[in-house]
Formats: sequence, structure tokens, C-alpha cells
Amino acid sequence: MKQPQSVLAKTISTPVILIALLVVIAILTALFGSGSFARTVTEIFIRVAFVVGLYIFIGNSGVISFGHAGFMCIGAYAAAWFTVPPMMKKVLLPGLPEIVSNAQLPFLGSLVLSSFLAALVALLVGLIMMRLAGIAASIATFAFLAVINTVYANWESVTAATSSVVGIPMVTGVWTSLFGASAAILIAYFYSISRWGLALRAARDEDIAASASGVDIYRQRLISFVISAFVCGMSGVLYAHYLGVVNPDAFYLGITFISLSMFVVGGMSSLSGAVLGVVIISAIIQILRWFEKGIDIGGLTLELPNGIQEIAIGVVMIVILVFRPAGLLGKREVLLKGWPFKRRTAD
Amino acid sequence: MTAVLQILFDALAVGSIYALGALGIALIFGVMRLVNFAHGDYIAFCVFAMLVPSTDVVAIVLIGKLPAILLIPIILLIGAVISVLSEMLVFRHLRNANPATMMICSFALGFVIQHVLLMFYSSRPKAINLWSNLSLPVEIFGARIPLLQLLTIIITFVILVALMWFLKRTRYGLEMRAAAEDFTMARMLGVRANRVIMTAFAVSGLLAASIGLILATQTGVADIRMGMPIMLVAFVATVIGGLGSLPGAVICGLLIGAASVLLQVFLPLDARPFRDAFLYSAVILCLLWRPDGIFAPRSAKQRV
Amino acid sequence: MSLLSVRDISVHYGQLAALRGVSISMDEGETLFVTGPNGAGKSTLLKAIAGAVRPSSGSISLADKVISGQPPEQTARLGFSMVPEGRHVFGSLTIEENLRLGTGIRADKDRIEGDLETVYEVFPMLAERKDGQAGVLSGGQQQMLVIGRALMAGPKLIAIDEPSLGLAPKVIDQVYDTLLKLRDSRGLTLLIVEQSSTRAMLTGGRMVLLRGGKIVLEGDARELANDESLRRAYFGFGEH
Repeated sequence: MKQPQSVLAKTISTPVILIALLVVIAILTALFGSGSFARTVTEIFIRVAFVVGLYIFIGNSGVISFGHAGFMCIGAYAAAWFTVPPMMKKVLLPGLPEIVSNAQLPFLGSLVLSSFLAALVALLVGLIMMRLAGIAASIATFAFLAVINTVYANWESVTAATSSVVGIPMVTGVWTSLFGASAAILIAYFYSISRWGLALRAARDEDIAASASGVDIYRQRLISFVISAFVCGMSGVLYAHYLGVVNPDAFYLGITFISLSMFVVGGMSSLSGAVLGVVIISAIIQILRWFEKGIDIGGLTLELPNGIQEIAIGVVMIVILVFRPAGLLGKREVLLKGWPFKRRTAD
Repeated sequence: MTAVLQILFDALAVGSIYALGALGIALIFGVMRLVNFAHGDYIAFCVFAMLVPSTDVVAIVLIGKLPAILLIPIILLIGAVISVLSEMLVFRHLRNANPATMMICSFALGFVIQHVLLMFYSSRPKAINLWSNLSLPVEIFGARIPLLQLLTIIITFVILVALMWFLKRTRYGLEMRAAAEDFTMARMLGVRANRVIMTAFAVSGLLAASIGLILATQTGVADIRMGMPIMLVAFVATVIGGLGSLPGAVICGLLIGAASVLLQVFLPLDARPFRDAFLYSAVILCLLWRPDGIFAPRSAKQRV
Repeated sequence: MSLLSVRDISVHYGQLAALRGVSISMDEGETLFVTGPNGAGKSTLLKAIAGAVRPSSGSISLADKVISGQPPEQTARLGFSMVPEGRHVFGSLTIEENLRLGTGIRADKDRIEGDLETVYEVFPMLAERKDGQAGVLSGGQQQMLVIGRALMAGPKLIAIDEPSLGLAPKVIDQVYDTLLKLRDSRGLTLLIVEQSSTRAMLTGGRMVLLRGGKIVLEGDARELANDESLRRAYFGFGEH
């Protein structure tokens, strides 16, 4: 068994590099970016937080989850419950309990409380669902998402059903979302080098050997599920405070599949893959969008027809996966060789 | 009595479509461990193939004007072709990839098909008028059943019988069943991997096309996203049926259809909007009860 | 020219070498036993020939055609039929369907029914249950089925991984009788993996001993029988 200390020393450069990359993007955006570009970058950072949340569970357990957008949904709606002015809530959401509808928490308070709510729900459903493995577990998570979506899209007095809840303070910008993404990366990193993370990865790769050596797979999956739900819930809070509006359909199949795609293209078993997958695919999407609007190259205007962007991104993802079936990074992590100590490979 | 009959027919008709969808997914899963999320988009593609590309609300029917005797085989062929093409262009290159990678690729492919349709037809659902006289009711033992509902059930039954014959009585079918159980061993006995997989994709495409035809007639609408909900339910049915078990997929497709109709009828009015929440909770319970599926083949081992 | 020629192949599972530079060659109508302790690489050798695993170096040819790197169905078409370890019965197919599965590649279609009768004669128990699902058979019955199935493909060369596994001694004798009869009447070539060398000594033929992924001893089975070097090579005594 490796000492946690030495694992930390060998791999600490990974989260540092990843966060530094995001900081550089944020600084460049602040210096040169337009307002709309800043919004794009904010969305990317929120997506990084979400996909890193996915990594915590999927990357370490090897179980594909379709359900995590549900935790984003729970986090986002909780943020609305806690921060929309009480006057508005009493009209819009008459079904909320007194104590919630009278409250108006500051952003940070709502961030922590709402993320905890997502984690709590994860604990409750996880107690049941984490007994499952493989594709049965995947389907169960999908069923969970469908349940959450149905409930949030129909519970008129508490979620305003399919009409949007408005009036959430729009406080998420580039820096706030950078903070959120960095926090997600650190949580994921420290989880994955912890004894829990190591045990779960051991169970992912060699389940029989791991349970023979005393790893309680059910318990380890549950821990990972709850932590990842916390991070995904947090990304939902950030998203609610970014848009100012929440709507159940924003947290259903669309975001589930796009995020999973970015995650798999990056590399399912790697934290760096999760972050870089989002950054790279988002960058390609942004460049294609610019091309759709028309770009000047040496006096020649290149303009792609509308709709090409989505088609192209689909094709790009397929091509990447055909040539790199394990994703861009596979199981590897970005690491600075010999920093702060000598040693190269992670995992 | 007539009310019971009415519900029974509703349940069978809804379940039939899910059963056909689940069969299409299970066939492909059986031979290459791929959960094909593009399946729903094949359904939409087949429907739109009947129309002239345009962004108008009312669709201009192109080959949809052909007499049924020509139209049906053409649409079925289109379904088989797009399915086989996606195997040749995409999935063939992923034979050794892990299931998650294949699944994401199938999703990306579906995304591409959707947006190609979007480019030519716009995102607005279109009204199409295909055999509208089929929605006239007929009377059976006092219950008034839309003719189409009856036809859906009959067609599904015929397709199931034909497929069973194909699987049990032909060389292709024998090879497919063997490959679904143990691909490497089948190949060591000379079964050609490419031929089996392409046959599975072709049959799966035929099934998607038949769903497309039934849906278009039933709803009178062509919508780019029309295949997605079917595909998701079919996917769930395939898993709780026991991945790799074709009868399991069919039965669970029917069961889910029946369950959704029954819930719709018997849930109290207040709870009715939450029908799918009940349905999917039942799915979770079902998985806890039988994680490998209700009809998992004896030899089935989790490979995912 | 030999029927099967394996030239200096190595097979790796990840970092682990299962075979290290193994060469064997077989003439038509010959019998070759591959023996050796557990984990020696016997099954890997068969899988490499069948095309189920890809050698990292070296080449294999069958009937003068290179088969290494070819898909298994191609190798089967050249007349290689295999009974792998772990049996691999198709449990949801009937017994007769199992037997007929491999006949799709045969050129001599007119002999299929006759061969089916031969298989049923050797294993009457299969005939009794020919329309029942193969999944319900006992271990020994499954072993009969897979051997019958391999024969039904009308092979030039048949490779069997541990034919005696799970079979009663009387049935083992029958299996070997049938195999030898076919060898003599049709020129069938036999490549047989057995953990122990006893059967090889009884039956006769050539024998190679694998250990640690390498051939450590090779020769006529009966001559080796009395040779102290066999026991030493098997257990690895006297090596440095």
C-alpha cells in the first residue's frame, strides 16, 4: 500500500496544472474577451465543475451514470428556493414550507446548503441503488433522472412546473465559476488520492480481489456517489445564479449526453481527461460558432452554413473515439515531471 | 367489459411499439454489446425521408404519396440502409472499444443525424397526413377501437412471428443467436463477424422503420425528436428484460407499455402528472429485484 | 510441406508474456500432444492458432497460408477446428443446432448428415436430447457436445483443449478411439492439449512439453515416457 503522503507528493501537480489552465483562460477572458465571450467561458467553467463531479463517481467506480443531471437540477432549484426574494416566492411557489419561503440566503450560504441537499438526496437514493453494478446501475441512475425530471416538471406549487422560476440573483460570472470549477477539481483530486478513492478504483479494476482484501464495494460506491452529487449540485447552484432562471428541461437529457460525451472524449478514468474534455470540446464548438458567423482569412470571408457546428462536433467526437477509444487522455493524468518531486505516472 | 377491452387494446398498442423498439436495441446489443442510442434517430430519419426538405409547417409529402405497397418497402429499406451504413462508417471501427465509448459514439451519431434533419427540415414539427382513414374506429365486442390500434397490434404480432422464424429457421438466424451468446466461439466455428453484425443492424433498421411508419400514421406529426422517448423506454425494457434476451426485451416492452396505460387510468387525478415517476421507480425496484434482468439467459454474465 | 507451422511466436497479455518464442510444426495425419503444468501457455498456444489472441511476434501458417493476424472465421475456413478450454457451449441453442453451427463452412455438404450420425453414434446421449437446449447439459455432456461440434466442421486439423476434462474414463477411451479412427480414415490431424502426459504415452504420437511459455522438451511420447528428463522438465527440477 502506498502512503497517502507520497501519492500526494507525486501527483499534486495534476490539480495545480488544471486549475492554472482555467486561471489562464479566465485572465485572458478578463483582458481581451467581450461580454458574450465571458458568458461562454462562465458556462464552460460550470460545465467543468459538473463533469468533474461525474468523474468522481464514474471515473473511480467505472459505473456509467445517467443520473447526475438530476443532482444539478436539485442544486439549482434549491438555490432558487433559498435566494429568490420571499415576496416573489410566495406568489410563484406557494407550496414551499414557511421556513424556506421566508429565507433569503446570501450566495455562499445557498451554495453550501443547496449542494448539501443534492448530496443528501444522493445518500438516500444511493442507499438503494448502489447495490447494483454495471449496466443495471446505469439504468437505475437513468430512471432516477426521469423521476426527478417528472417531479420537478409537474410539482406546480414548489417548482412552478414547466414554467421557469425567475428572480435568482445573477451573481455567477467568470471568477465565481472559476472558483467553483477549482473547488470541484480539488475535491475530486483529494477524493481520488484518499483511501476511499484508492479502494474504489481497486474495486473497479479487480472487484473480486478488492472485496477479498476487505473493500466494501457498496459502501465505497455510496461515498463516491454522495461526494459527486455534492459537486454536481454545486454546479447546478452556479448555473442557477448564472442564468437567473431555472427550468426542469435544462437538467435533463441534453446536458446529460453532452456532458457524458465531453467526459468520455477526454478520458473516463482521468481527472485531467474530465477537465480537458470539456475545455477542448467547448473550444471546438466556439471556433465552429465563429465560423458560422463568418471569419475573415486574408480578405476571404469563410462562412459555414448554420447547423454545421452541431454536425461537425458530432463527427469530431466520433473520430476522436475511433482513434482513441479510451479518450484523449485514457487513464493518464497531466503531470509535471519531477515537480515538486521526481516521478512520472499517476494512478 | 367494454372499458376493460378498451384499456387492454390501449396497453397492447402502446406496448407493441416499445416492444419493437426494445427488439431493435436488443438485437444489436446481443451481437456487439452496443447500446445504440442512435436507434431513435433512425426512426425519425425514416419518417422524414417521406417528405420534401422544407421548413414549412405542413409537410410536402414526396415519396409518402406512393401507394402503400411501394411506400412501405421503400421506407423499410431506408431504415435498413441507414442502420447498416452507421455500422460500416462508425461502429465497425469501434469493435474493440469499451461499451461506454461505443455508447457515446452512438449518441454522437444520433446527434449528427438529428442535426442533419434539422438543417433540411427545421426544428418545427410538421403535420403529415398518412393514411388518415386508419384512425377511424372499428367496433369489437362493443369497444370502439381505432383501426390503426388494431393494425399496430397485428403488425407487431406479424413482425414478431417473422423474426422468430428468421432466427429459428434460417442459417443467418442460427449464426446470430450463436454470436449473441458467445461471439468468439461462433467465429472459431466459421461464423463471419461482419455478416452477422450487418444482418443484426439491417433487421434493427427494419424495426426502426416500422416504428416510424406506425408513429407517423398514429400521430400525424413528423418531429425530429419523435424517436427519442421510444428509444429510452426501449432501452429500459431491454435491460430489465435481461440484456441479450430477445423474448425478455419484447415482454418487458409490452409490460412497460401496459404499466404506463394502467397507471394513466388508475392513478388518482392529482398523481397522474407524476405517472412517469411511478413508472421509473418501478423500474428501479425491478432492477433491485433482478439486477441481471427478469429474463436473463442462464449463461448471461455481466460484461458491461 | 507441413500442414501447420508455428514459427517463433510470442503472446503477451499486457506486460505478461504467456508464450515466448514457441515453434511447432505438424504434418498431415499426425498427432501432437502439448502438455505442461498450469499456466504454461498451452491454451494460449491454441488460441493464438485459432486467431482468438494475436501473437506479438512470430508467424503461424496453415496449409501454406499465413493465418496469424487473420480473424478466427478465416482460420476456421482453412480447416482448423477447435475445442477451447471452458467448453463454450451455446446454451440457448439446441444440441443439434450447436452441432450444425460449424457446418456452414464445409465444402463437402453431402457428408454432413453422415458425420452427424457418426457423432450421435459415439455420443448416443446427444442423439437422445438433440432438440433440447444445450445449456442444461452436465459438464461431461457439454464436453461431448463441443468435441462433436468441432468434428462437424469437417476439419483437417482439430485442436482440443483437455478432451478428458469432466468425462468418465470409459467415455474418454471412446473419444480417443473416434479421433484416432478419423485420423486414420480421413487423415485428420490431431493437436491435443493435456495437462498430464499419461494419455499421450498410451496413445502415442509426438509430444511437446511447455513450461513458462517455452518448449522445454520435445520428442516421441512413448520414448519420453521412460525418460527421467520428462519429470524433471515438467516440474522444473535441475534448472538454474
